[in-house]
Amino acid sequence: MATVAVPQLSGYHRPAVLDWIMTVDHKRLGILYLYFTLFFFAVGGILALLVRTQLAVADNSFVGNDAYNQIFTMHASAMLFLFIIPVWAGFGNYLVPLQIGAADMAFPRINALSFWMLPPAGILMFAGFIVDGGAADGGWTAYSPLAQQTGVGMDMWIIAVIVLGMSSTIGAANFLVTMFRMRAPGMTMFRMPIFCWTMLVTALLQLLATPVLAAALVMLFIDRNYGGQFFDPNGGGNVVLWQNVFWFYSHPAVYIMILPGMGIVSEILPVFSRKPLFGYKAFVFATIGIGGLGFSVWAHHMFTTGSVLLPFFGFMTFMIGVPTGVKIFNWLGTLWGGSISFPTPMLFAIGFVSMFLIGGINGTYSAAVPVDFALHDTYFVVAHIHYVLFGGSVFAVFGGLYYWFPKIWGRQLNERLGKLHFVLMFVGFNVAFFPMHMLGLDGMPRRIAVYADSAGWEALNMLSTGGAFLIAVSMIPFLIAVVMAFMRPKDQPDDPWEANTLEWATTSPPPDYNFDSLPPVRSERPLFDARHSGEEQGH
Amino acid sequence: MLGMPLRRRLRLLVATVTAALLALLATGTASAIQPGGITDEARLMNDLFWIVTIAGLIVFGLVGAALVYAMIRYRRQNDELPPQFHGGGKIEAAMVGVPVLIVIGLFTISMIILVQIDDKAEDEALTIDVTGFQFSWQFAYNLNDLGTNTDPNAEGTIAVIGTPANDPILYMPVDEPVEFLLKSNDVIHSFYVKDFLYKLDLIPGRVNSFTVTARETGDFSAQCAELCGTNHALMRFIVRVVERDEFDAWVAAEAARQLGDGALVSASGTQGD
Ligand SMILES: [Cu+2]
Repeated sequence: MATVAVPQLSGYHRPAVLDWIMTVDHKRLGILYLYFTLFFFAVGGILALLVRTQLAVADNSFVGNDAYNQIFTMHASAMLFLFIIPVWAGFGNYLVPLQIGAADMAFPRINALSFWMLPPAGILMFAGFIVDGGAADGGWTAYSPLAQQTGVGMDMWIIAVIVLGMSSTIGAANFLVTMFRMRAPGMTMFRMPIFCWTMLVTALLQLLATPVLAAALVMLFIDRNYGGQFFDPNGGGNVVLWQNVFWFYSHPAVYIMILPGMGIVSEILPVFSRKPLFGYKAFVFATIGIGGLGFSVWAHHMFTTGSVLLPFFGFMTFMIGVPTGVKIFNWLGTLWGGSISFPTPMLFAIGFVSMFLIGGINGTYSAAVPVDFALHDTYFVVAHIHYVLFGGSVFAVFGGLYYWFPKIWGRQLNERLGKLHFVLMFVGFNVAFFPMHMLGLDGMPRRIAVYADSAGWEALNMLSTGGAFLIAVSMIPFLIAVVMAFMRPKDQPDDPWEANTLEWATTSPPPDYNFDSLPPVRSERPLFDARHSGEEQGH
Repeated sequence: MLGMPLRRRLRLLVATVTAALLALLATGTASAIQPGGITDEARLMNDLFWIVTIAGLIVFGLVGAALVYAMIRYRRQNDELPPQFHGGGKIEAAMVGVPVLIVIGLFTISMIILVQIDDKAEDEALTIDVTGFQFSWQFAYNLNDLGTNTDPNAEGTIAVIGTPANDPILYMPVDEPVEFLLKSNDVIHSFYVKDFLYKLDLIPGRVNSFTVTARETGDFSAQCAELCGTNHALMRFIVRVVERDEFDAWVAAEAARQLGDGALVSASGTQGD
């Protein structure tokens, strides 16, 4: 091999800040995503505490009705658009190339673009609080015509959501190409780690659904600013059209928000049960099934509009319980007959399974159309979405953080603090959200700023508020554990958990180029195979 | 309990906690849903609610018990590798089959009940025109469309109009079908009466309708269930279900008061009276 003299830029070191801003490395972008999204998790959490404080007692005047509408709208917007959806892009960015044995994402610069669209969108959305009329206050669902009435904060919200949608659309294309084209030798599609599979289906959903939302938002923007009448009946428009296009995106979006969490849990359970994932292919097909059915259930958010084919959407909504049920069996079967240990990531994973189980069961109430007539738009639905998106997704986020922290930062989070974090969050979560079932059954509508003393909802609301603050308290041991970890040297071995997938076949943290060498990939568990090669394996 | 080996104590503890949680769940939902609605339609929905709840509790109990059992029974006790079981055809078929049976069963039952609820439109029903606005309600009665006891030659409309500070009262007779026509001219609202176990949206540009037959008299609090702006939370109203003769007397009094001088007077019949 001929040697070529390459001019060296010796002596010049880019400042660290610039290094992070200019980076196209998937690992650094993944870390940026995680910092960004966890910041907005905190912001959304503070807004949630304001909501819960307002609702703690009857006839409260802690925040006014106008402010309240802005606060809960921005709580949901931050949690959904600036935390849950991009946090999976964060995990995906860091992990997908490592798990498939690639050196980076397929399009590193586009990857950087995806990330750098987020901060301006987040700032724009929250800048609504300082303009005339305040931030968006029509709910994250922005139902027209209400969304036509509010101030310029609503326009900022619309533009921000369009930008966030563009970010996730191009990010999705990047993930798909990466997984289709850059897998390590020997890694067939059905040997791909399960987290990658969930990212793949999520990316497909984003690619197909997000442009529909973007179109709807552009129509709404035109209605508001340029005299369009897409959603205005006085000009020949149709009010319900907004709900159709909005939910055509936003129901698949619920799966965009939960599928990667299922993937994370399905990585953690096998490792700490010391068994393969039970029914890997069934899990993959169930994931694809959820993705496909996810496009045919949007109108179950609209049963009370009186303009929906009830039997069809009721049936499809029930049907989506089938692949969901399959996954519960996958997880139970993985634990069954295993050799189970309970470090913090495992606690969060099991917490996910149990809370998601409740989130699945209380979801069937809305599929049973006549019951939905009673429960729609009450606190029962608020309980349901939080059992899915907090008991599910957020528990998976923390499970994933504890699990991959040694890989990403080369340090371990303190186990005792982690367990304390889990217990506080698990108890706080259930105290905060279980009473909402009863409130909903007792007729408390969602999105109300005040309720009368005579309604009799105060005790359960007070309980729920207490739970919300307990969740906030549970973040203290987590933050202490993070600070403590960063005060220690990077001492983690390649594979501290005896895990299965390729990201554990390189150093912690990995070098820029990810891998010096790859083990052969002959199953979905190459590291397990490498550890146990020569031993006889049961089946 | 103290004399038992640790493992049995742990199992007992977990079993007790699980049983307590289940009991809490069941009684909590049970107490919250009672009474199960005051209309024929609500009672049907209440039945379906219990069917879904029982099915849900069975699934939760079985899966929860299996989860807790697995966590205790299969916790790591040594370094030995457990059998590496990947799953198999029959079990995976059962994994699909069981949920399919459950959801098809629940779907069928809910459709049967949906048909029974919908199958109630009657021409001679009393009709109440409900208009939602930011942020209260108007309930209008056409004097020649009052159900039984209607004088077909009567003319005029009486209306009850509320304000956010003054909840309007919706009068309706007991034991006969009442049809609601729902309209809005500003934004979407939702007509939600908890004791009907029912809500239906008021959508600008379209008229929604539903029919119920109330079986209990009394005052029932109700409110808007679709976010409609600043004072959405104050868009409350009272449903007052009364005997037929009391209803006729109220109509007569309102007609005399509102139509006596030919004008439609607002804010009568509100809670503040
Ligand atoms: Cu309203």
